[in-house]
Amino acid sequence: MRCPKIIIFIQLFIIVFMIIFIRQAMAEDIIFSDEGQRCLECHSKHGLIKKFENGESAEAFVDADKFKTSVHNSLNCSDCHTDFSADNHPQRRFRSKEQYKIKSSLVCRKCHPREENKAKSLHDKLLSEEYEGKPHPCTNCHSTHSITAVSKKTYKNEGQYCMKCHTQNLSMEFKDGKTQMLTTDVSLLLTSVHKSLNCSDCHFGFSNSQHPQRNFKSKRAFSIANSETCRRCHYDKYAKEMESIHYTVLSQGNLNAPVCTDCHGSHLILSSGKEKSYITQRCQKCHTEAYETYAKSVHGKALFDEHNQDVPICIDCHLAHNIKNPLTQDYREMIPDMCSNCHANKDIVSKYGLSTDVVKTYLSDFHGITLGFYIKQREEFNRPARLIAVCTDCHGTHNIISTRSMAPAVVKANLVKRCQQCHKDAAKNFPDAWLSHYTPTPDHASMIFIINLIYSIFTPIMVTGIILQILLHIWRYAVNR
Amino acid sequence: MTMDNTDNIKIRRFSAFRIVEHWGYMLAFVLLAITGLSQKFYYLDVSTWVILHSGGIDYVRLIHRYTGIIFSVATFMHIIVGIIGITLKKWTPSMLINKKDFSDVVHNIRYYLGVEDHQATCDRYSYRQKFEYWGVLIGAVIIIFSGVALWFPVFITQFLPGEVIPAAKVLHTNQAILIFIMIALLHIYNSIFSPEVFPLDTSIFTGHISRERMAREHPAELEKMEGKQ
Repeated sequence: MRCPKIIIFIQLFIIVFMIIFIRQAMAEDIIFSDEGQRCLECHSKHGLIKKFENGESAEAFVDADKFKTSVHNSLNCSDCHTDFSADNHPQRRFRSKEQYKIKSSLVCRKCHPREENKAKSLHDKLLSEEYEGKPHPCTNCHSTHSITAVSKKTYKNEGQYCMKCHTQNLSMEFKDGKTQMLTTDVSLLLTSVHKSLNCSDCHFGFSNSQHPQRNFKSKRAFSIANSETCRRCHYDKYAKEMESIHYTVLSQGNLNAPVCTDCHGSHLILSSGKEKSYITQRCQKCHTEAYETYAKSVHGKALFDEHNQDVPICIDCHLAHNIKNPLTQDYREMIPDMCSNCHANKDIVSKYGLSTDVVKTYLSDFHGITLGFYIKQREEFNRPARLIAVCTDCHGTHNIISTRSMAPAVVKANLVKRCQQCHKDAAKNFPDAWLSHYTPTPDHASMIFIINLIYSIFTPIMVTGIILQILLHIWRYAVNR
Repeated sequence: MTMDNTDNIKIRRFSAFRIVEHWGYMLAFVLLAITGLSQKFYYLDVSTWVILHSGGIDYVRLIHRYTGIIFSVATFMHIIVGIIGITLKKWTPSMLINKKDFSDVVHNIRYYLGVEDHQATCDRYSYRQKFEYWGVLIGAVIIIFSGVALWFPVFITQFLPGEVIPAAKVLHTNQAILIFIMIALLHIYNSIFSPEVFPLDTSIFTGHISRERMAREHPAELEKMEGKQ
């Protein structure tokens, strides 16, 4: 019978411990800002007395625990006590306690304007008495530091509740001293694709009853933390993004690496896909140089000058979420596939008089065949491959220009330079060794066409002759026997 | 050499040099065909298997090129030895094509169709062997030169127009197919599957041929040989 007693004792201990722990954890839920903590150093102690001219006095004491439960617990002291700050503590004189109350209550109207309050019948009556010389300080009814939430029925929806404060000039301060306005433009929200969402759908943890105080190192840390909420709905994109170079760079500590909101925006999230140039502008924010080079390319010009939607934009080659490091071998090997997405697709390129054979002719020539085997060798044996020319090595990447815009001699001269990157001693006529994606015809590469033609006639004749000779030989041998 | 039991007599047909030469050609040909065809028909599964199991495309190209050197050396040696032999040592140029070969062709077609009773009486080499020989020799020279162009395209285009390279490629690959067909069909038939030699014509390996076969296949040569004695 001893054992159960011990077990009961241990269980009791655990329960007590958990209760203490949970209380502790709940108490720590609200953390005062640096400013609040500084003010409370003095104002949480009894004994600070403010004397008024008529002999009345009031204790300048703030009950920190009560303030924590107040609806204003996320505000800074200076949000209401506007004259005061950590560094500035002016001496003010008031005639009486009543005058102090009336003056102090004026600050409430910063966030709760008179017009709005008048809309409620009760306040309307009280406020009209103000003109008759009978002011009613707000604090008389709502008290001061322990203001509690009014009935939730006041607000039709959560948005209205949040916008009560967040359309005002609210701001938050970060540890690095910078501030961020917390004002939200409702008109932007209403044009966003997320217009039917509630605030707390994204601002997880915030609601009519919860408004945790959070401290961030910097504005950037705040943005990054906020973007984490997107994955709660868009997990597929988030998972892809985790494979991207942006995520890698971010996890290495570079906070400038983009997160969801940097490309998609926060409150104004628009649907993409209508106009491709809009998407390129997102990348431009950081990749200005690449963007400008692209804008001058055959693809970029068509996009920006003609609003051509067939052309590839950044994300067609680099992808949108799982953006890979374009300097890796893996990425290089994917390039012919990327280009062939359009250049082997008749529906897209034939409008512009472009041949769809370009990919086929590349893949069946020296470089393409080699690339094909390098890929297989890496897949099968994980063998490192040497560099081999892919589309971009001759055509460029962001700076792709049309060969039609230049004289053939210029094209050839440019091409020699590209060849020389690998074939160092390549002479001027070396580029002719490549048939420029043409399949030989009587007009183009006629020498090759003729050689092929001769063999395509001669070889079958010879094969027929040999087979005939063999068959006749066997037949006669059989007859002889 | 006894005249009795003459059919079992072995007649010396090929010198040791020719036997070694044939071995060299045969091995080089097999290697070149495997590595070359798998490059030409790179899209076939069997080619992929061959290439991946030979250490990758770079190694296959390397093997093909170095075997090509052996093949080239053998070919040029053959030509030089032939020229030296004919001019200095007064060899009979038995490989040269002459008028009789054309009449032999006509004769043999008539024979196959049942018009003639006997095959054409061939000298040391029959018209079929000559056809194979010259086909392969000329093809080999084309292949060697085009192969060099493909191996050193940058160097070659210092002197020649760029289009030479793709031209060399089509020449090389078409001619290779032609030689391959000649060897795989005609040569393999003549020396393995032909009912007259089946299962194998051993004369190029042993250097000997039986008098009975000489009498049947090269009667003119046999007559000359025996006439001289």
